[in-house]
Amino acid sequence: MKHSAAILIAKTILRLNRLTGSGGTAMPGLVAKKLYPDILKALAEINFPDGVIVVTGTNGKTTTSKMISDILTKAGISHIHNRAGSNLERGIIATILEHADSKGRCKARMGLFEVDEAYVPSVSSQLQPRYIVITNLFRDQLDRYGELDKTATRLGDALLKLNTKAILNADDPLVASLGLNLKDDKRVVYFGISDYKGNKTEHDYALDSVFDPNTGDMLKYSQRYFGHLGIYSAPNSSFKRPKPSVDLVSMLKNDQEGSKFEVENEKTKLNLQLPLGGTYNIYNALAAVALAITMGLEPKAVELALAESSAAFGRMETIEYDERKLLLLLIKNPTGFNQIIQTYLKSDLQKPLWLIINDKLADGRDVSWLWDSALEDIKDYAGAIVVSGTRAYDMALRLKYAGIDKNVSIEPELEDGLRAVINKVQVGETVHVLPTYTAMLALREKLVKDTKGKEFWQ
Amino acid sequence: MNIYGDYGNIICLRKRLQWRGLDCEVAEVEAGEALPKNFDMIFIGGGQDRGQIRVAEDLQHKKHQLVEAVEDGLPALAICGGYQLFGDYFLSSDYGQLPGIGVFPVVTKATQTRMIGNVVLQSQAFGTLVGFENHSGATELYDNARPLGKVNKGYGNDPTKKFEGVIYNNGIGTYLHGSFLPKNPQVADHLLQIAATRRSNDLELSPLDDSLAKKAALIAQKRPQ
Repeated sequence: MKHSAAILIAKTILRLNRLTGSGGTAMPGLVAKKLYPDILKALAEINFPDGVIVVTGTNGKTTTSKMISDILTKAGISHIHNRAGSNLERGIIATILEHADSKGRCKARMGLFEVDEAYVPSVSSQLQPRYIVITNLFRDQLDRYGELDKTATRLGDALLKLNTKAILNADDPLVASLGLNLKDDKRVVYFGISDYKGNKTEHDYALDSVFDPNTGDMLKYSQRYFGHLGIYSAPNSSFKRPKPSVDLVSMLKNDQEGSKFEVENEKTKLNLQLPLGGTYNIYNALAAVALAITMGLEPKAVELALAESSAAFGRMETIEYDERKLLLLLIKNPTGFNQIIQTYLKSDLQKPLWLIINDKLADGRDVSWLWDSALEDIKDYAGAIVVSGTRAYDMALRLKYAGIDKNVSIEPELEDGLRAVINKVQVGETVHVLPTYTAMLALREKLVKDTKGKEFWQ
Repeated sequence: MNIYGDYGNIICLRKRLQWRGLDCEVAEVEAGEALPKNFDMIFIGGGQDRGQIRVAEDLQHKKHQLVEAVEDGLPALAICGGYQLFGDYFLSSDYGQLPGIGVFPVVTKATQTRMIGNVVLQSQAFGTLVGFENHSGATELYDNARPLGKVNKGYGNDPTKKFEGVIYNNGIGTYLHGSFLPKNPQVADHLLQIAATRRSNDLELSPLDDSLAKKAALIAQKRPQ
């Protein structure tokens, strides 16, 4: 079949989807690919005269992409973006088709795509991105990918084959090591934090990649911020943290309300403010800033866009329900969980807490990661805790071993959990809700239904 | 090596002693460091193939001490990558043959299958055990080796034989990682009791309330592979 026919059919499905109100965002992309396997390549060739940006990594893809999109908008660059988070090939095809005419042409100058780590090689060979941003590489869903090292190797091989600029996290040894293979220095831009102020985890069981890629020796850290991010060097080889060219040189404020910091680059200095809490969001912002600087965008546009940034889908959003506030904080892996513990739970051991742990395919079938999360850091938790989800008992067991079992109630069903949590909270109070991915989607669906379809996200 | 969740086993062992008014010291031994002079139990977790190279080389220096300890009846738990290196050798796909230390009468060879998923097994010594596996190496048991259990769900040692793990003296090797001991507390107590008895003949560990662990294990059995 010709690609024009595939586009037409896929666009018809998109239209039908919209008429019937069906939410399946990736389906038309899947159909288009079935009908014409090279559809993404064909679409990329006729679109995006200013290039394509790919954002990947374990944590922060969605938030970083959203920040980049906000910056591009402020800078007046038209672009399309898979903002719903459908980050496999089919989702990207569907996003382009949604914005394209019947010949597959979009008006946008640029394409901005968040891409799942495992799909970067195949997707980039078709998109030929001008820029690839890699936020970090942590253990996540090893049940899908096998090993972290393998994911990294595949990413590194993909970078070698492409004519792209790589925007890499200098503080993550595994990500930084990907840049070493790119002999041409001009192809790599490193971002990092040289002046850190923030909470540190007492027990960090979530160390993933602390080995020298040359010798396999354990790296030495002069500073470690969280997980394996920090300032490191190898004891027996020349491998060390590369000097970031986009560097956070002065951290003025970093708490759960937000942060203020200065970023330096050889050409410019930016004063940045972020209304999102957590060091992980500072890293997301740095990745976006490094890209913007590389693209030569106006510093003013970057500063304005970040100052107005808001959280992405399910990450730090407050939802009003029954006169209570539910603050949604997505958790996916030990590093993310630890960051939420440091940023939100440790500073307030009283607030009611609702943990919803699912083990469906999109969450990861394995719940072992709960044991690498530093629940011991909140062993004095005094607020009410409700645990729900398919693995509610695993969560309760983990809490028990962390010394937390007094105020815990177990309600595996979402509906019962919501009722229990509402009953434990006074009117006007906030609940910290920590759901895994599918739990977050299910909870949203339920809340939308209960609030009669009022949508509280864009 | 700690691929993920292996610390859960340490947390479990230590906490089960603390609940009984006992304590222990956990000595983390990095590659290049010597083993302590005296220890009551050995634990080694899983790692990625690349991390295993360094550990494999380092274990050769500790081989004598570890083999002797397990021969002497010291309790040991080796998981995933650790289990493989406690066997004769591991023939990996990317890094050639990694020498093991032969604590267990087993040998591991890389396969093209990544064996990932929930596992349920029936063990003569421990009843039903649950866990999660994630490995591509297939482990063969020598004739004098006893498996930990028979696989009801999942792969286990290798894709063809439906057996999982190994028991040798008081040592256990298994692919069930992460929250293995917390959800299978009978194994934790078995290891702890042996260690306690070796210390003092009449030290008997009191029973604990494991209803939460039983419930979690029961649910894990019903989850899809």
